[in-house]
Amino acid sequence: MSEAVTSAASAAPVLVARDIRKVFGALVALDGAEVSVAKGEIVGLIGPNGSGKSTLLHVISGRTPATGGTVTLGGRDVTRAKPSDRIRAGLSIKFQLARVYLDQTVADNLLLAIQSQAPLVSLMLSRSRAAAASTIDELLEGFHLTHARSQLARELSHGEQQWLEIAMAMALKPTVLLLDEPTAGMSREERLATGERIRAARERCGVLIVEHDLDFIRGLCDRISVLHQGKIIASGTPAQIEADPRVQEVYLTRV
Amino acid sequence: MRLSLRSRFDGRSGGRNLALLVGVLAVAPLVLAVLGLDYYTIVLTQALILGILALSGDLAWGSTGIFTLGQAVFFGIGAYAVGELAKHLGVTDVLAASVIGLGVGAFAGVLVGLFLFVGSRVGELYVGLVTLALAFAAERFATGWDVIGAYNGVPGIPGPTLGPLVLEYGPTTYYTIFALFVLVLYGAYQLNKSQFGLVMRAVRDDGERAEFLGYRRTTVQIVVFSITSALAGMAGGLYALSSGFVSPSFLGVTLSTQVLLWVVLGGRGTLVGPLLGLGLVYVLGGRIAEFQPQLWPVILGLILLGTILYLPGGLIGRRVVPLRKRVAVTTAAAPTGGGDRV
Ligand SMILES: Nc1ncnc2c1ncn2[C@@H]1O[C@H](COP(=O)(O)OP(=O)(O)OP(=O)(O)O)[C@@H](O)[C@H]1O
Ligand SMILES: [Mg+2]
Repeated sequence: MSEAVTSAASAAPVLVARDIRKVFGALVALDGAEVSVAKGEIVGLIGPNGSGKSTLLHVISGRTPATGGTVTLGGRDVTRAKPSDRIRAGLSIKFQLARVYLDQTVADNLLLAIQSQAPLVSLMLSRSRAAAASTIDELLEGFHLTHARSQLARELSHGEQQWLEIAMAMALKPTVLLLDEPTAGMSREERLATGERIRAARERCGVLIVEHDLDFIRGLCDRISVLHQGKIIASGTPAQIEADPRVQEVYLTRV
Repeated sequence: MRLSLRSRFDGRSGGRNLALLVGVLAVAPLVLAVLGLDYYTIVLTQALILGILALSGDLAWGSTGIFTLGQAVFFGIGAYAVGELAKHLGVTDVLAASVIGLGVGAFAGVLVGLFLFVGSRVGELYVGLVTLALAFAAERFATGWDVIGAYNGVPGIPGPTLGPLVLEYGPTTYYTIFALFVLVLYGAYQLNKSQFGLVMRAVRDDGERAEFLGYRRTTVQIVVFSITSALAGMAGGLYALSSGFVSPSFLGVTLSTQVLLWVVLGGRGTLVGPLLGLGLVYVLGGRIAEFQPQLWPVILGLILLGTILYLPGGLIGRRVVPLRKRVAVTTAAAPTGGGDRV
């Protein structure tokens, strides 16, 4: 792995996944993959279909237990922690397939994210959604969803559901934000707007973003890692990655 | 595959329906008296107590998706506790009975809840099977245990009192129970409406997703399970006093399954729906069980099946697209992949 990278962040990494292995039966989905993200940094993760990108995010978030390797969040080993504990330790994830609460309103979906770490007793007693209202308004505005505030999430378009999910992920105020294909199914303008929101989020956290769209990721990321058959085969600035012959070889079959 | 019967809790219209129901129940004894049907006031009193059980079932299965087939176990535990205390120590005060029922119900609920939810990721069906087995075992156990009267249960429980007052059967008892019922109903309504209610529905609709927002699903489930067990225990305690006896069937599978039927028939998560479901099954059941006792369970089963197939939202619930159509729509609308949610 090339370490001669001009990283935007000099700070200690907020996320380190080291030597991750994941085996599904006979299939080796991840074979010693590694990735690290520092505060204020946007790291891209690319690779052909089935190369293990989503699986890596699932291992980091605790959705899938790793077969081997370690995950640390802000210096704390969370390899065996439950998802909810990782979230409480500062992680946040947007899944590849938008997974919002279809039968709740857009505002309630956001409320669910905003209040998720409040004590249960206070949730039972205070029906006052007032405290969260201004945060909800901000998020709605930032993601162009103000008009949909009291609509059910199932009434949103595909792109809007993606936005809602990204907004929920950001509402957790994470220190590490994992985004799996945030712009899938979006129009060009929607992609641009999404890019803006991600850039705005970097001030508070490190971002790890899985994308197929190189045009989108080129302007956004400080660093890009390329996953191929469960291994990181290259890592560097967008320019370095695009010039890398190994990457071109892997990608020749697609795009 | 997950059992997907969903309905949306609509605070405002739900509140209107509940207010209407409370209004009707408030004047019911007067109407019955005018019609010369005073006897039915006593029947209605029992129904109100079972109504508390219905609400507990709705909070568990309707709002939180806890597929419990053992709600009667906690009802029975409350009934036995109050029945024995009333008989041997003269504890017949309805408020004391409520508190005792709540207490033993909550205690048992925490224990069972810990067993059900901690460490296990097996899902709804597992919860259903274990609670069903529990109801079965509890009834058998009570039938065999001499200390609590074996299959005779606890007969001859003295009637309910309130402070120094001896409550006569009829309107006096009715309105006392009615007050408690309204209190529970109001609490359940506020719980559903609260921010915690939203979390309950999130755990119901996609519990794993809730964990990825940072919620501790297990804790939420145990808390809700304990609350609903407490309410079931309270209902049991009141039922013991007002009916004057407790039998092992109070703990059993038949009553447990009926709770689920009320909820599904009326509409999950709506509170008013399960109460209507209870009313229908109770009125119908009273007649049919009288003439065709062996046919009654079959009819209950058919009603349950029919509701799930043709009225997935229940009588009151939001109109839900039938399962088959919904799958078709989902696949068409999300070509990028639907495997995750189905
Ligand atoms: N739960 C699972 N069980 C078995 N195999 C799995 C599972 N999840 C993923 N895989 C396999 O692991 C490999 C990596 O899948 P993954 O979803 O991580 O790829 P990806 O890089 O995200 O692909 P895409 O670009 O299509 O999203 C694939 O071959 C996939 O079929
Ligand atoms: Mg993927």
